[in-house]
Amino acid sequence: MGKLYKFLKYFFITFWAVFVVAPFLWALTTSFKDFNSVNGGATYIPWVDFEPKLEGWRVLIKSPANGGVDIIEPYFNSLFVTCTASLISIVLGTLSAYALSRFTFKAGFVKNNDITFFFISQRIMPPIVLSIPFFLFLGAISLLDSLIGLIVVYIVLLMPIAVWIMVDFFNKVPREIDETALIDGCNPYQAFFKVVLPNSIPGLIVAGMFCIIFGWIDFFFAFILTFTEVQLLPVKIVALNSSITPWWSLSASALVSVAPLIIVAFIVERYLSKGNLSGAIK
Amino acid sequence: MEFYPLLLLEVLMSKIDLNNISHTYNPNDPEPTYALNPFSMTWENGKRYAILGPSGCGKTTMLNIVSGLVRPSAGSILFDDKDVTDLKTEERNIAQVFQFPVIYNTMTVFENLAFPLLCRDFEKEKINERVNSVAETLNLQSFLKSPARKLTADQKQLISLGRGLVREDVAAVLMDEPLTVIDPDLKFRLRRKLKEINEEFKTTLVYVTHDQNEAMTFADNIIVMSDGEVVQAGTPKELFERPNTTFVGYFIGSPAMNLFETEASSNDCVKINGTLIKTNTNLSKLKDKKIKLGIRSEFINLAEDQKDNLLSVEVDKVEDLGNYKLLTAKMGELTIKSKINRETEVPSSDVKLHIPADKCCVYENEILI
Repeated sequence: MGKLYKFLKYFFITFWAVFVVAPFLWALTTSFKDFNSVNGGATYIPWVDFEPKLEGWRVLIKSPANGGVDIIEPYFNSLFVTCTASLISIVLGTLSAYALSRFTFKAGFVKNNDITFFFISQRIMPPIVLSIPFFLFLGAISLLDSLIGLIVVYIVLLMPIAVWIMVDFFNKVPREIDETALIDGCNPYQAFFKVVLPNSIPGLIVAGMFCIIFGWIDFFFAFILTFTEVQLLPVKIVALNSSITPWWSLSASALVSVAPLIIVAFIVERYLSKGNLSGAIK
Repeated sequence: MEFYPLLLLEVLMSKIDLNNISHTYNPNDPEPTYALNPFSMTWENGKRYAILGPSGCGKTTMLNIVSGLVRPSAGSILFDDKDVTDLKTEERNIAQVFQFPVIYNTMTVFENLAFPLLCRDFEKEKINERVNSVAETLNLQSFLKSPARKLTADQKQLISLGRGLVREDVAAVLMDEPLTVIDPDLKFRLRRKLKEINEEFKTTLVYVTHDQNEAMTFADNIIVMSDGEVVQAGTPKELFERPNTTFVGYFIGSPAMNLFETEASSNDCVKINGTLIKTNTNLSKLKDKKIKLGIRSEFINLAEDQKDNLLSVEVDKVEDLGNYKLLTAKMGELTIKSKINRETEVPSSDVKLHIPADKCCVYENEILI
């Protein structure tokens, strides 16, 4: 019984690992192929099945004048926009979440829960509804096709996530912690920064991770709100496509674009395995 | 140098006055319900107080008012004759320990204990000295460097307690059922420790509990509360012998006070099942009114050579509870409980019980006359 269970367990884990890793393997090998090798069927072993070529990768850094696409600038644009918007969203979101969790607000029939729901409702709404208002709004303040404009839009999109996660998190941090800090002689700000915030690092990490993921993968708004001046990575990758699908450079760009998320996942995983996030992730 | 300790003592002195304090959580309601009805009280410096009452009677509200977490709807609080009603919690010199351990997860045990001093900008040597001394008192020395979150629940509660005791200058240490999570053996030792600390440092301790045993053994003054009302405040002896209301008689002591519904039959006698019982209370104004006679089972004894105040009862059962015997007797409908000496032989049928007149309490409308 025990042996069968163990066998099934490892069988399932192996199966799942293959299932998850296979696309990466496919993308990795494809990125080193040329037109002929790609059309020669699915093969995986370099030098035996096909002759590895670096053309797929070169295209990504060559300037358009030399027939490349040059994703370096969009790549750093994307990094900059995602990180800045996530950071601002986390800071603003955490502050508002703390207020919503600890203080009572009342404006007519609107109370704390309604305000929290208002934030979340921004994400319930289909994004396309927002595209025209955003376009007109950014146009009016001359921020279309600019990094700042994108950051503003992404804050609108990411802050609800931060508020949502952090309200839930702060609600689980006992009020007595704040009260004890006050009794120990902190003023309310010190109580927040010295005691509550350090205790909320797991929540901040989860919120940060979600913000970074949602910011990084957004194609829709990056596509609508930029033209020629500024381009973000997802838009640029889509632009790689042409009448003859360049599988090699698409694979290479997919690998580069997914790399930051994998790094983030590795960092967060260390906290996950410590069990610190048990309260933060249900 | 000689007078330095004296000066220190002066700083430590702190009397807490609660003047006409009352509190409601819905002040804007036309008919607000009061969590605390108006009361006044003085807590002397260096004494041990227990606030005793069932859950939801306003004990915690009272503590939070003193520590400043709650601002009272009416009334004022004075620390040493200085009005602190409008002072914020962090500006009051008070320590509070909650029912469940509150520790700063991200800090070590040392940092936890040092936090109240750090917040008040104490010098490093002073902090080290105080933290080490408190850690020694609470047996936490060996954990000082470990992260606080790694400790067990009762060790965590010791840290909470330690943070309360680490400041020498607190006006009072308020404890809200602090020993609930601690195991019984340690509970006993900690209570004794708290008493020692109180005797040594003259820190006022206020201890909230719903366990009358804990209150009786810990405090030199007990405040009994019920439904937002301070029912009685006094020494354990006073509460035990002369409960102000039948509630106190019922709540304090084990078994609860014997209470008999009766009526006055003369100026100082009541009639219980046809037997006249003399009391030391003047009953002249209570003729024909419904009253209750209360007497502790500790004061009822088997009659030896007394002539008066005897009740003839039928023995129902006798339980040997180790250090005493609990006699349950019937007299018609009435049940009488009496604690008697372990060595006394109890006849198995009818006995006479002696009711001492000076220990009788008479209640009208549940209030002591």
